[in-house]
Amino acid sequence: MEVDILELSDRSAKFVLSKVGMAFANGIRRAMVADVPTLAIEYVNLYDNTSVLYDEQLALRLSLIPLVTDLETYMPQAECTVCGGEGCPACELSLTLSSEGPAVVHSGDLISSDPLVQAADANIPIVELKKGQKLVLEAIAHMGYGRDSVKWQAGIACGYKNVPIVSVENCDACGHCAAECPKSIILVEESGAMVPEEDLLKCSLCRLCEKVCDINAIKVSFDENAFVFTMESDGSYTARDLILNASDVVKGKAEGLISILDQL
Amino acid sequence: MISVRCFSCGKVISNHWDEYKRRVDGGEDKAVVLDDLGITRYCCRRMLLSHVELVDVLSPYQ
Amino acid sequence: MGYKCTRCKQKVEIDYEYTGIRCPYCGHRILVKERPTTIKPIKAE
Repeated sequence: MEVDILELSDRSAKFVLSKVGMAFANGIRRAMVADVPTLAIEYVNLYDNTSVLYDEQLALRLSLIPLVTDLETYMPQAECTVCGGEGCPACELSLTLSSEGPAVVHSGDLISSDPLVQAADANIPIVELKKGQKLVLEAIAHMGYGRDSVKWQAGIACGYKNVPIVSVENCDACGHCAAECPKSIILVEESGAMVPEEDLLKCSLCRLCEKVCDINAIKVSFDENAFVFTMESDGSYTARDLILNASDVVKGKAEGLISILDQL
Repeated sequence: MISVRCFSCGKVISNHWDEYKRRVDGGEDKAVVLDDLGITRYCCRRMLLSHVELVDVLSPYQ
Repeated sequence: MGYKCTRCKQKVEIDYEYTGIRCPYCGHRILVKERPTTIKPIKAE
């Protein structure tokens, strides 16, 4: 397996994963979307709400706010080894919010009982309070998996495509393919059409160039064992940590399978 | 209030609403503002483009 | 149960034995139920 990182920032990453099968690539993608646990608000205790939003709408908005998660400290409640699923500091976290209008309540106004866990973005508007309106609540956050609800989904727009291979033979440099290419990555020189190496990954494998070529000189294919991965994080983990955690999840599942097979 | 996340992909978009609104009201082109804010996918772009703020309409009726 | 008259904003107790719903202070017939002061637990989903 080889990994070639193209772009890596706090919230997003793009990399080429090569010398692995499609099943493995898809395993990593699915783990990023569904199997990395994150913290999200699960219960809301409302003391007062005179805002324009219903209590349920408010709870939904709160639950969708990504919280910066420490995978070491918290665990999903059903798997909690400390309390066995009844609720304890190892599997739940309380956040409080108290505000009076006129004001816009932002996610940064949530006061967490654990200073390490904060809203990933402090400027998410929750509700606009007019004069005299009031909002007092306590929110309980749990760890959970993306497969159960979007609020626990850490990976956003995780996807991959095969690394494209564009080959040109006996080209008459007519230029039709260059005009047709939606990504405008085909260059036509005297010797014929070609795709510069730095632009090759932009190819979307649409094969419009193949169709428009009268003499079948251009061929688009792909490498079955190399993938261009793009992924984003919602902020609960950095992009780097999310990929690592997803890999750990896949590894843990594989080890679980081995131990089951050993017992047979 | 604008939805916290994009309906389709789940990206948090509501934190860009204030800046988007301010700049579009200031006469800037919507496409340019969205590009500046790093909202590249069309699923996320429609969230901001199609949003209608109703808080001011509803607030007198409490 | 706490109700509030929408016209005179007085707190009103409804007498269910008495026929009809009416504010005893001003005679207005529209009353709204006040939000109870208890803590309301909600599951976020």
